Amino acid sequence: MSSESSKKRKPKVIRSDGAPAEGKRNRSDPEQEGKYYSEEAEVDLRDPGRDYELYKYTCQELQRLMAEIQDLKSRGGKDAAVEIEDRRILSCVHFMTLKKLNRLAHIRLKKGRDQTHEAKQKVDAYHLQLQNLLYEVMHLQKEITKCLEFKSKHEEIDLVSVEEFYQEAPPDISKAEITMGDPHQQTLARLDWELEQRKRLAEQYRESLSNKEKILKEIEVKKEYLSSLQPRLNSIMQASLPVQEYLFMPFDQAHKQYETARHLPPPLYVLFVQAKALFKPHEESQDDESDSDAEEEQTTKRRRPTLGVQLDDKRKEMLKRHPLSVMLDLKCKDDSVLHLTFYYLMNLNIMTVKARVTTATELITPISAGDLLSPDSVLSCLYPGDHGKKTPNPANQYQFDKVGILTLRDYVLDLGHPYLWVQKLGGLHFPKEQPQPTVIADHSLSSSHMETTMKLLKTRVQSRLALHKQFASLEHGIVPVTSDCHYLFPAKVVSRLVKWVTIAHEDYVELHFTKDIVEAGLAGDTNLYYMALVERGTAKLQAAVVLNPGYSSIPPIFQLCLNWKGEKTNSNDDNIRAMESEVNVCYKELCGPRPGHQLLTNQLQRLCVLLDVYLETEIHDDSVEGPKEFPQEKMCLRLFRGPSRMKPFKYNHPQGFFSHR
Amino acid sequence: MEPVTQACPLDQELNPGPFSPQADALTTEHTGRMEVFQALQRLHMTIFSQCFSPCGKFLAAGNNYGQIAIFSLSAALSSEAKEESKKPIVTFQAHDGPVYSMVSTDRHLFSAGDGEVKAWLWAEILKKGCKELWCRQPPYRTSLEVPEINALLLVPKENSLILAGGDCQLHTMDLETGTFTRALRGHTDYIHCLALRDRNPEVLSGGEDGTVRLWDLRMAKEVQTIEVYKHEECSRPHNGRWIGCLATDSDWMVCGGGPALTLWHLRSSTPTTIFPMWAPQKHVTFYQDLILSAGQGPCVNQWQLSGELKAQVPGSSPGLLSLSLNQQPAAPECKVLTAAGNSCRVDVFTNLGYRAFSLSF
Repeated sequence: MSSESSKKRKPKVIRSDGAPAEGKRNRSDPEQEGKYYSEEAEVDLRDPGRDYELYKYTCQELQRLMAEIQDLKSRGGKDAAVEIEDRRILSCVHFMTLKKLNRLAHIRLKKGRDQTHEAKQKVDAYHLQLQNLLYEVMHLQKEITKCLEFKSKHEEIDLVSVEEFYQEAPPDISKAEITMGDPHQQTLARLDWELEQRKRLAEQYRESLSNKEKILKEIEVKKEYLSSLQPRLNSIMQASLPVQEYLFMPFDQAHKQYETARHLPPPLYVLFVQAKALFKPHEESQDDESDSDAEEEQTTKRRRPTLGVQLDDKRKEMLKRHPLSVMLDLKCKDDSVLHLTFYYLMNLNIMTVKARVTTATELITPISAGDLLSPDSVLSCLYPGDHGKKTPNPANQYQFDKVGILTLRDYVLDLGHPYLWVQKLGGLHFPKEQPQPTVIADHSLSSSHMETTMKLLKTRVQSRLALHKQFASLEHGIVPVTSDCHYLFPAKVVSRLVKWVTIAHEDYVELHFTKDIVEAGLAGDTNLYYMALVERGTAKLQAAVVLNPGYSSIPPIFQLCLNWKGEKTNSNDDNIRAMESEVNVCYKELCGPRPGHQLLTNQLQRLCVLLDVYLETEIHDDSVEGPKEFPQEKMCLRLFRGPSRMKPFKYNHPQGFFSHR
Repeated sequence: MEPVTQACPLDQELNPGPFSPQADALTTEHTGRMEVFQALQRLHMTIFSQCFSPCGKFLAAGNNYGQIAIFSLSAALSSEAKEESKKPIVTFQAHDGPVYSMVSTDRHLFSAGDGEVKAWLWAEILKKGCKELWCRQPPYRTSLEVPEINALLLVPKENSLILAGGDCQLHTMDLETGTFTRALRGHTDYIHCLALRDRNPEVLSGGEDGTVRLWDLRMAKEVQTIEVYKHEECSRPHNGRWIGCLATDSDWMVCGGGPALTLWHLRSSTPTTIFPMWAPQKHVTFYQDLILSAGQGPCVNQWQLSGELKAQVPGSSPGLLSLSLNQQPAAPECKVLTAAGNSCRVDVFTNLGYRAFSLSF
């Protein structure tokens, strides 16, 4: 209420107004010492309770007066106005009392407020003090804790234990009497002792270091001395070489070989050791070397790899050879040499071999003998079925699949042939169809195969060379029968060999008279095929020959086709069949002296003899005019025998006649 | 520096002991050689003769290497027959030379080839290491070369065996005593085949000289001679004149070889039917109302008596030398026709229309 706000302000105003309102008296004597009206002082003197009673009484009076006024006004009358006026003045006086009471009330209120305020301030100050003190207490407590927790550096040092200290320390440091009782002194003493000891040990350490330096220097000097010794020893060894040669002790050479041999991969090492062991007692006919091929390792160009090139590189990586190889030279009786170079393919864990034959004299190769000594096929099928075109390690197939190599066949010309006997000589054994995790080289496997394989190799070379010579003669139409085989044949043989050529495997299979051999599985692609033509008069005998790489232990197989008065083969003429049987089945008597290299030529000669017999014993057809084309010159007991009317194809030696088997 | 060369002991034959580790490497090489050799042998094998056992369940076959193989027909014909059933149960070396002819009695098998005839017991023959019961050689005139025996014939009425072959004679051997009773001469060249005429005890023989001769056994002499090559209808000079096969049905006889296959009436000695087969026939037999023949060429030919070719059934050999019919009453389920010749196989025909399978050496 505005009256309240004005009442608030009013004390100031009232004071200043109050002063004039009832202070007319006061203004008149302002110099009166201290005697002026102060309502504040009056408040202290008056009793609030009485004031309150007064207030209630005043209000009642006012109410009564008002009610009387009301009555009077409502009654009316003349004296009413005077009555009303009296009452009106009374009520004004009451109003003034009320006003004063109001003023007093306000003053009291104000005083009360001031007192409260003061008290509150005091309390606040105390409170503040209390907070400060508490804070300080806390601070001090923290400090105390910090002090209590303090660790002195000396506690980090590992001191020797107390007993030891007393035992070891000299008395002037340990000062037992003092330190026993006083832990502080004890610790100090211990620290002292520690310090002393450490100083001593540091001294020792420095001394040892200097010692060590000295010794190192001595070692250096000695090393230099030794290294200067090495070239001197070498020169001594060089000087001793002529002496070694003079005494036939190639110690140095062998030693060098063994040195290099130590770097060989395990399978090649096994091969090397076993080969050396085999030939040592005989001391001949073989030269063993291990060769280093460092240049192979270098790649020639750097190029940004495309996918194809990357694959190529991966393949090359997979087929990489170990730089060291073992060279074995087998010398045969007639001074021809078979050079074998064994390689080891590291990633595939197989060994391969490259072969080369050199002869004492220069060989002129007849046309048909092209494949006989070619490095690709000279060692094919040394053991039956070992054609060396497939990798013997079944685990390699997975490796090949990763880099897209179909078969090793494409790479054998370059890498050598992975024959099974080569793996056996290197001690590697691959059980069929089961990829082993690791196959390690085994000496016993190698030693058990070494002797036989070497023998087979020699036989192979010799038989091929013999064939080589024979082919040269066959191409000229002469069947070279050696003198110790002459007894197998009659003196006079009229049929002649006119042609001897090589034919391809596919051509052989296409011939109409070779179906039986092909069906029997005897005409594989590892064999060599030839065509011979024997003629006498108008009769032409074609012979298709299958030469197995295992010649001469496996005989060549002949299939015949005779063109004379019609075409006769084994399917329509029993005697042609008998002729084939004479040459194919009865080959053992045609082998000749021991190595059996004469087998092929003897078979061919026998073929000529058989043709003679066949033609001469053919019965003359009476209905046809003219004499027999081939008069009988062979002595035969009987012309026909048996249900199939066989001709007498068997030649009996000293007597010289033909009979039946 | 040249190493000193000495003769290497390895250049001589290597003979490892049985337990030597070298043996392994050598055996691989050896087996390879043996395989080739065996394959070659089989390719050049000829089966000359066949014979059924008296029980009808087994077949014996003889080849040109002198081996006899016994096959179990009942096993091969059964429904669980496997590949092994078509192989012989036992094979043994019977003769040194080819086995050209075999016949069988109730208990014995007779085989003959290079001049000797041997007897085997059927009961023992299936056991390993079977030995012949006896071995006889007929008295030959020449000693330079032992003549072969091409044909054997059993004469049940007088219990004797007739042999004929390279020495141009027919020898009769008594089966009880084992002695040679007769030697019938007359042929001028070696004898190919024999046939027995039941009603009169007469034997027919055909030979390389081109004649078919009839012999009376009781009188032991030649009764009739037919010179086949002299008859123009059947002679074929370009094939020769030899008679390779004979079969007789008492009044009738069929023969072939160099000349064409012909049916003859014996009493009148005239050719009645010529069978138009240009290939020389090596075996002929009567069967029911047909004539079966085989020879050069892979087929078994079936002829009607009128001379028509009823059927030609191909076999597996390029040429056939013998046919055999299993008519043993004890084994009706094994009633088959077998044919063998220029190969290591015996074709088995369960039905005359086609080849069922082949047994093989």
